[in-house]
Amino acid sequence: MTTMTETTTQVYQLYIRATPEQVWDAITNPETIARYFHGAQLDPGPLEVGAARRTWSPDRSRLWGDNTILECDPPRRFVHTWRSLYDDELAAEDESRVSWEIEPAQGGTSKLTLVHDRLEGAPKTAASVRGWSFILSNLKTLLETGEPFPAEG
Amino acid sequence: MDDDLVFKALADPTRRMLLDRLFERDGRTLTELEAQLAMTRFGVMKHLKVLEGAGLVVSRRRGREKLHFLNPVPIRQIHDRWIDKYREREVSALLDLKTSLEDTA
Repeated sequence: MTTMTETTTQVYQLYIRATPEQVWDAITNPETIARYFHGAQLDPGPLEVGAARRTWSPDRSRLWGDNTILECDPPRRFVHTWRSLYDDELAAEDESRVSWEIEPAQGGTSKLTLVHDRLEGAPKTAASVRGWSFILSNLKTLLETGEPFPAEG
Repeated sequence: MDDDLVFKALADPTRRMLLDRLFERDGRTLTELEAQLAMTRFGVMKHLKVLEGAGLVVSRRRGREKLHFLNPVPIRQIHDRWIDKYREREVSALLDLKTSLEDTA
């Protein structure tokens, strides 16, 4: 496989049969996040610029992320910093940025675009976060069927 | 996502090549992509439009430039729906055998 180089912005987009408010809830509500994001436990906290967004492993023994909210415009735009703390090598890299954009689309669907950028100083993180496809497919399945996609075998 | 649009978009060697170029380096302009293909600008635009229609490519503006990004989500969904389901242990063993025979050939 070709290694990816010079890629400092990644874009993921999908349509979800749900309202923008439901998608917004899915990306900000700790209980919902745990169901499609590897069981991650997000600390409850204020949804406002400058607030912390701290996530833990499912048993809360390990800090997975300690990020900061950069923009918060419900139910359209949510931006936060990103550093993968679950792996020492990734944690040593520079901070990057994740932007969630939600737009109403045709037929009662919402268009969700996730942009992961500012990855210049985080090449290993850039390679590892390709897993966003899996997370987002999971999120779509959860919102459309009420159940997450079966775990990967 | 419309599966038909994705399969149709993938059923063309030029479009698959465009996706490979974006996989190597994402966020390219039409001019950069055009420079790598023996094809008119209009031809490349037409193919990019089909890829965008299928959701495989997403374009975003940066200043005056329009950058094209590979969107891997539809391929993930095709994988979940059409590949994972039919992938049997036996089939994968046969593919491993094929690969190892071809590597040593």
